[in-house]
Amino acid sequence: MSNFGALLDSLLQDTIGRSVGVFAPELILCATILLTLFVRLFDADRRLPTYWVALIGSLGAFLLAYFQFIQLRQGSAGSEAYFTGLLVFDQFSVFFRVFLLLFLVLVVSLTILTGLPDLEDGPDFYTLLIGSTVGMMLMASANHLLILFLGVEMASVPSYAMVGFLKGRRSSSEAALKYVVYGAGAAGVMLYGVSLLAGLLGTANLPQIAAQLESLAGSGRGIMDPVVRTAFLGAMMVLAGLAFKLSLVPFHFWCPDAFEGAPAEVAGYLSVASKAAAFALLVRFCLAFAGSDAESLQTLYRALGVGLGLVAVVTATYGNLVAYVQNNMKRLLAYSTIAHAGYMLMAVAALLVINNAPAGTSLDVAAESRRCLEGLLYYLCVYLFMNLGAFAIVALIRNEIFSEDIRDYAGLGFQAPLLGICMAICLFSLTGVPPLGGFVGKLFIFASVVQAAKIAPWMWVVLVLGLLNTVFSLFYYMRVVRAMFLTARPEGARKLEIPFTPIGAYVSILTVPILVLGVYIRGLSDLAQGVAAVFFQ
Amino acid sequence: MDGVSLNAYLLVGAVLFVCGVVCMATKRNGIGVLMGVELVLNGANVNFVAFSHYMPLGLDGQVIALFVIVLAAAEAAVALAIALNYYNSFQTIDVDRGDDLRG
Repeated sequence: MSNFGALLDSLLQDTIGRSVGVFAPELILCATILLTLFVRLFDADRRLPTYWVALIGSLGAFLLAYFQFIQLRQGSAGSEAYFTGLLVFDQFSVFFRVFLLLFLVLVVSLTILTGLPDLEDGPDFYTLLIGSTVGMMLMASANHLLILFLGVEMASVPSYAMVGFLKGRRSSSEAALKYVVYGAGAAGVMLYGVSLLAGLLGTANLPQIAAQLESLAGSGRGIMDPVVRTAFLGAMMVLAGLAFKLSLVPFHFWCPDAFEGAPAEVAGYLSVASKAAAFALLVRFCLAFAGSDAESLQTLYRALGVGLGLVAVVTATYGNLVAYVQNNMKRLLAYSTIAHAGYMLMAVAALLVINNAPAGTSLDVAAESRRCLEGLLYYLCVYLFMNLGAFAIVALIRNEIFSEDIRDYAGLGFQAPLLGICMAICLFSLTGVPPLGGFVGKLFIFASVVQAAKIAPWMWVVLVLGLLNTVFSLFYYMRVVRAMFLTARPEGARKLEIPFTPIGAYVSILTVPILVLGVYIRGLSDLAQGVAAVFFQ
Repeated sequence: MDGVSLNAYLLVGAVLFVCGVVCMATKRNGIGVLMGVELVLNGANVNFVAFSHYMPLGLDGQVIALFVIVLAAAEAAVALAIALNYYNSFQTIDVDRGDDLRG
């Protein structure tokens, strides 16, 4: 009995003494969800629209997370586990918290501007939106296989419902059904993989996986032993589940359909937030295996890195080629999202190769690994602004001309110059044209791939095809810009009239960082280096 | 559990998993696909509970299984709501009939 008391005491101390404080941004979001529901329960949403509650709640959480980030950067670069080791608190997880919360604030503002959920549906929509963000924040700070699965599910389940949010529209309900069927299947396979991995290794704690695997493979069994191979099969299944979230080929089927059927605001949200969270989780999962000195395991991980690199180029090539024949703007951007997931995966592949370099390499492994992660984080930050910008402008134009077809965009650049110019900047940046942020991000990633190619020659293939892809992608982004600026608006077409404020202010806020990040590289690059130092001292 | 080895439990789990995957891949009825998902999740649950008894995973396995049961219920609720919404638009639950979105 006294044992139980002691256990309870230590649990309480761990929870109230430390974890709750660290977890505060997520708790604020949970409180916001409850508040949005209560506001409707007491019929106060006639006077206080729920979007204000959602906006204020997410702003509060953002400021708190930002404060945590500043505080962590002044302190040490270490990491500490909380909630009995389920979650981890370090600069990497707090960076993603700040990233996701900033994005949440921007998306909530966008829905206010476009009026996506009407007053009646507001509480439902914001509950789903904020709930899914909490799931993504859990993904970014996962330290345990249970949280890996819970985070993925918590992020996915609300997004299934958000994709089908346009009630009574055929395409929306079809998109939601396809997304939920594929998503649930992928989650099931992932869970089975988790069960094999956790069971055979005897631990579900991510930091202990590497040591367990090493002792398993090192105890005279080698990596061809059935137990070790089954554990790797489990790891592959988990990677397949993550690949589904990242819409990598061959797990990409859902993405174009879900994005075309979903409202553009939701598609923009999914394309940035769920990708960012999945990349954070992928990096954590891959690094949980790394750090082994055993030669056989290192060779295996390098092969895995090269495999991921090849998946990355196939994904980027597929996305870019298929995007070329699309006529629907959201579908085009969905394929562009697939392609960009491919580019970002190249950074993770390079990280895996470099981090498992054979002993005696001339590379500075820690510094180069930091650069890989820096490239990924830089790209994600630019991607937030350029991709959300593109989807936001699609949503704003849809509200005026009731179409998302590229042919109906003819001549819009002259009717609404600001919107047209911002769209052009976003698309040029997505291509990777020099003075813009997208170029710098691609440069960082390709530089890491070059370093990785010195260890694994197959990475040269990845590099060459990646560079070629950048050129392909120019053509389909240019189709949109050409329609907007080089074609005359047909007679009798619906006029696009967008008042300057506050929509103009909003799209400018999204576009200015793209320009700034293309010129002033130092600030964010140093920040990303600092974050990457969590893993590689 | 005397006399029953870990492998027997893993075999049951694997059979459930394979049945679930086959069900997901071959059923055209939306509800059928969701039943396949439930089979896969429960296959994983059998694994978790078996591992927690025989391997050093300990109570973690049983706790994960409990979480998964709750989560499967939540997911099924959302999925059935979406299936109902689909039925309202298409007057069928056949997933192959939804081919408005393509390209």
